[in-house]
Amino acid sequence: MRVLVVEDDPLLGEAICIGMRQRGFAADWVRDGIAAETALKTETFAAVILDLGLPRLSGMQLLRQRREAHDGTPVLILTARDAIRERVQGLDAGADDYVVKPVDLDELAARLRALVRRSGGDAQPLLEVGALRIDPAARHVDWHDAPVELSPREFDLLLEFARSPNRFLSKEQLAERLYGWNDEVESNALEVHIHHLRRKLDPSLIVTQRGVGYMLRTSET
Amino acid sequence: MMEAATNASIRKPDFSLRTRLLVAMLSIVAVVWLLSAFASYAQARRELGELLDAHLATSAALLVAQASEELEEIELEHLPDLGDAHQRLALQVWNDGHLGVHSANAPNAPLAPFRHGFADVTADGTEWRVYSTRSREGDWVQVGEPVSARTDILREALARQAWPMLLALPLLGVGIWLVLGRGLSPLQRMAQAVGKRAPLDTTPIVADDAPREIRPLLDRLNALFARTGASIEREHRFIGDASHELRTPLAAIRAQAQVAQGARDDAERQRALAGVIAGCDRMTALTAQLLTLSRLEAGVLSSATANASMRDIVQDTLAEFAALAHRQQASITLEIADDLRVDSDPLLLQIVLRNLVGNALQYGGEGVRIQLSASRLGNVVSLSVCDDGPGIAPEDRTRALQRFDRLDAHVAGGAGLGLAIVERIADAIGAGLSLSDGIEARGLGVHLRIPDRRLSQP
Repeated sequence: MRVLVVEDDPLLGEAICIGMRQRGFAADWVRDGIAAETALKTETFAAVILDLGLPRLSGMQLLRQRREAHDGTPVLILTARDAIRERVQGLDAGADDYVVKPVDLDELAARLRALVRRSGGDAQPLLEVGALRIDPAARHVDWHDAPVELSPREFDLLLEFARSPNRFLSKEQLAERLYGWNDEVESNALEVHIHHLRRKLDPSLIVTQRGVGYMLRTSET
Repeated sequence: MMEAATNASIRKPDFSLRTRLLVAMLSIVAVVWLLSAFASYAQARRELGELLDAHLATSAALLVAQASEELEEIELEHLPDLGDAHQRLALQVWNDGHLGVHSANAPNAPLAPFRHGFADVTADGTEWRVYSTRSREGDWVQVGEPVSARTDILREALARQAWPMLLALPLLGVGIWLVLGRGLSPLQRMAQAVGKRAPLDTTPIVADDAPREIRPLLDRLNALFARTGASIEREHRFIGDASHELRTPLAAIRAQAQVAQGARDDAERQRALAGVIAGCDRMTALTAQLLTLSRLEAGVLSSATANASMRDIVQDTLAEFAALAHRQQASITLEIADDLRVDSDPLLLQIVLRNLVGNALQYGGEGVRIQLSASRLGNVVSLSVCDDGPGIAPEDRTRALQRFDRLDAHVAGGAGLGLAIVERIADAIGAGLSLSDGIEARGLGVHLRIPDRRLSQP
């Protein structure tokens, strides 16, 4: 899962980024409102951690703009402003969650997972697709009720497939959702991960369509 | 002991405006009444005297007229009716030195010497007013009246006048008391309104019915409330801003520490721990700035020295930054005359310079150029700190002077209090503060116009 961290404070922004990466997210970090706007316009993120007091374009303005542009990316406001009025304003402007600094990184990660889960219309913390059961919080996978060992990347990739089962996802879409800007991506890395997934689970689970992309097929279809 | 005595003597006795006014008004009324009573007594006495004298003369004239005809049978009843006074008249008709006809109350000796006209005499212990006249036959006719009769009349008249006065005085007192109470009731209402207020309530007292005499007090009170309100508001904003400003570095320290806990390798842990330390340093600097600001607010920061050498002030401050400037390879130039003296608070000026030079170094980064210049024009010393760093866009310059506004936080982890402190000090020493471009249309220039102390203080 790839999240965008919008935070102007260098120490905090860095810590959140690394902390989220430690917790299995791909995290990208921008330090002002304009950069965040550009990032959100051009790329896809599973969620945004948004500070309000930002240079150039305030978090509030950015949030309103994105919502007016029908950008539904889940937004978690992380701010020092703790007044009830400000919380209400933030949530009413289209934020999905409002957290006051300082925050525990585990809690932040859990809130992000909940946001992403709900944005997929799914209230269940466990993702069940066919014989596959994924626990995003515990980063645990069961295949036909037996646990499977996956590398972090493999897990992230499987999670992306499981979020949109029976739909083709292009290589570019997958790479964008999986990797942050600073991640070095080798050209055939995706193929390698998909190969591993097929081997560890079932060769027919992930279908390849040349020129289109990959699809996770559930047993029912 | 001494102190207690002094205090006791200083304390004014408790007094009521109502009582004081009542006593004053009743006293004035009483004095005026007394004066007018005396005046009318004097006047009545004079007029009554004239009237009764005329009566005496008339009675004597009648007696003379009667005496010439039938002296033996004088009848008092034939005299003009003069009321009570009538009874008291004493008559004597002297015939060749012998008392002839006379009234019963008349003494046997002549009332007065045989001299024509009025006389005041004392006979048998009684004071008389006597009129003497002589008939054509040579008889002396004397008509007298005891003076006490006259004073009795006057006293009676005075008493008749005084009794209603004495009765009226308490009534008047009650009336005045009530009217005063009514007149002073706006004061009481105001006192109640003030008394009922919460300690931090700063809304103005509304009293449309307040009389003109109380209005000034009310207006001053409301002005005071407004000032107090503004300062409470400022304090609230300050606390709010400060807590915001403290939350972010705290969050950073906490997050960095948590990252260190969950570090995937040693390099990541070391980096995170360095972040924790950097966060603590920043909190320390921020706390120091907050303290400076709050001391400035309280007015405790000031030094007695005046008329200091500007060059000394600047060089003292720059010495603190020598190591940092060297590390950043910053170039700092001074344009200050050796003999330039500034008649202002050197301690505050040092804080100003420390914040401005610190900001310039912090935001200017590697190789920043900083120009410090000061010169005197008349009663004003101009002090400028210019750099060629990132500067502040003209439209953002007003905002930059506000507390906690960190315009470009990602340049370095500094708290945005520097310019706010400078502005606060400029305010305190009566200096003008302005922002401009820095060196060669780049960076930031901060200019202070510092008036001599004696001019800046009212």
